[in-house]
Amino acid sequence: MLRLKIEKRLTPTWKVVFSVTVLSIFLAFFVIGFIFLGYGINPVKAYIEILIETVGNFYGITQILWQSIPLLLCGVGLLLAFKASFWNIGAEGQLLMGSLGATWAALFSGLPDFLLIPMIFILGFAGGAIWGLVSTVLKAKFKVNEVITTLMMNYIAMNIILYLIHGPWKGEEMKGFAYTNSFPQPAWLPTLGMSYIHWPTLIMGLVAVAVIYLIISRTKLGYEVKVIGQSQKAAKYAGISYFQTIFWVMLISGGCAGLAGAGEVAGVHHMLRHPDQISLGYGYTGIIVAWLARGNPIVTILTSLLFGAIYVAGDVMQLSFGLPFQIVNVFTGMILFFLISSDHLMRYKISFRREE
Amino acid sequence: MRKVVLLILCLVFVFTGAIGLLAQDKLKAGFIYVGPIGDMGWTHAHDQARKICENTFPWLETVYQESVPEGKVEGVIDRMIRRERCDVVFTTSFGFWEGTIAAAKKYPDKVFAHCSGFMRTPNCATYMADFYQVYYLNGLMAGALTKSNKVGYVGAFPIPEVKRHIDAFTLGVLEVNPRAEVHVRWIEAWFDPAKAKEATNSLIDAGCDVFAFTEDSDTVVQVAAENRLPSFGHYSPMYNSAPDYIVSGQLVHWELFYLDFLAKVYAGYYTSKNLENVDYWGLLKEGAAELGPKFGMPINPKWKSRLGKTNDLVLERLKQMQNPQMIFDPFTGPIYDRNGKMVVGRGERADYGHLLSIEYAVKGVVGAWPGEPK
Repeated sequence: MLRLKIEKRLTPTWKVVFSVTVLSIFLAFFVIGFIFLGYGINPVKAYIEILIETVGNFYGITQILWQSIPLLLCGVGLLLAFKASFWNIGAEGQLLMGSLGATWAALFSGLPDFLLIPMIFILGFAGGAIWGLVSTVLKAKFKVNEVITTLMMNYIAMNIILYLIHGPWKGEEMKGFAYTNSFPQPAWLPTLGMSYIHWPTLIMGLVAVAVIYLIISRTKLGYEVKVIGQSQKAAKYAGISYFQTIFWVMLISGGCAGLAGAGEVAGVHHMLRHPDQISLGYGYTGIIVAWLARGNPIVTILTSLLFGAIYVAGDVMQLSFGLPFQIVNVFTGMILFFLISSDHLMRYKISFRREE
Repeated sequence: MRKVVLLILCLVFVFTGAIGLLAQDKLKAGFIYVGPIGDMGWTHAHDQARKICENTFPWLETVYQESVPEGKVEGVIDRMIRRERCDVVFTTSFGFWEGTIAAAKKYPDKVFAHCSGFMRTPNCATYMADFYQVYYLNGLMAGALTKSNKVGYVGAFPIPEVKRHIDAFTLGVLEVNPRAEVHVRWIEAWFDPAKAKEATNSLIDAGCDVFAFTEDSDTVVQVAAENRLPSFGHYSPMYNSAPDYIVSGQLVHWELFYLDFLAKVYAGYYTSKNLENVDYWGLLKEGAAELGPKFGMPINPKWKSRLGKTNDLVLERLKQMQNPQMIFDPFTGPIYDRNGKMVVGRGERADYGHLLSIEYAVKGVVGAWPGEPK
């Protein structure tokens, strides 16, 4: 008789993680195929078209890279916070405050041209970091749940930007519409060739990945983060200061999101506009980017590219097949559904055993 | 001998030219929308016009993409031109201007048209259909219908376009009922039924009993009807949402612009070289805007008796504004803002530039007004 046996895997190997992830993405594609069929579209043809337009040509690849820049910065920052079990849901607000700092630098600082771009990134980082640290202080000193505060701070950031673009920062060039003036040319981030990739932000993202990798694997801070992440009590007995550790974690985590915001306004929009337009939910998608990377900062490069590709594939589906935009969300939802439910497959081993 | 060769060469050129023209007998247009085509307002109306164009012109093919974020418009244009081989691209929201102008420079031989913008290039025209005259007519009716002397208005964004509409509406309200006030709530979104509902309820609590709005769903009409209060539709025919409580509304005919523009591009009259000064501005007299809760019905007959004399006034003013000479216009002085400053002088009529950049609130408007001139 065949018996199903389920065993726990202590630490899933990378081979298992990779193959299960790929398998679940394929399963998602299979199910989504039925949606295509429902619209009278041949799914095989649809996937070929999507592949050609995403990874199948140079333009598609630049689009994916461009789209993954803010996801990478938000994702890798969040990963560090999650490592310390600090549930930062506020990357969205930290990103927006970063864009606010960057806008101030570009429009109102009056700095000489060559200092503009460095200042944009410095103030972008500062904006995001300060926003993240508010929740840190509340958590460490007053034991306020960080999930609530970081989430709520998102809405505060949104409304501050709304106030600024309707009020004191509203641009005279915009004929009354709620936008700031366009940034002066020296404050525009350079782009790579004919593409839209604002490479300074991309490099920041890669540097952030390297720095966070080194912090986690090579430093005392990284060790403390891991201990706190496992057990706050144990950390306390070991004499690790919770506030000090989380302070550095959120400085970096919020700062990374802030850099993403600075990159968006200085590299893409060249102005401050409605918060819904500055961030297309990057701070929230960043949570999934970080989660899928399973604690390894280097893997966020892959996961952010995956979500960049999903965004671009969504655009292709709409334009080439006339699918409604909501279908794109169904598409991402399906992929996430399969990825998240595959988690159990990674942690448990299923085998059949013949029983006498 | 030489002449013969020249002649033959000329003939060859003419023929290949003609073949080139014949081969170019298809035109492909891409439409970029800011919202979902399933809304009941702006994007839906543009998409209806797109369908009319496609059914009218056998040589026309169209593609579209909905709910495009402002920062992504340039990428969508790239794909429309590179992959879908569009000849003409329409971008239908103000926020798309930066990407549209950048793309127009990048593809100098393609034709672009940007809705509600003010920046043009040799290959990018602008167009807009405006409702302020219709809002004024609705205001006349709202002024006649309010018993509490408080009219509610749910506004999308405090920008000149919406401010112009609220001002025109208020001018109408006060013309019929000088003691009335127009209470405004901003929802900071073009499409957000939840916020629109909240705003309408808050206006009802403040004592308002007639409603107009700028938001791309029929929420305000529905909430008003649930409270047995009259309202005015916006952008799409909303008669069926509340046949007993909708009085009138604003309707748009974007196809007038699209048909005209595409025909001229097809005929070679508009090219990628001569659009620098092409700016369409459609009002009642052009037929771009229409008064009514649904097409062909200027005023809901159920409300005719309640409106009394105002019914005739509305129809008269409608006729005057439909007249090609535009005998009447609501923005005719003297008009005072709510701080008492004269903004349009006695006997003057506000010009195009004035209308496009309105920031003031006229007398009678109550509520927050971001960006109000001191």
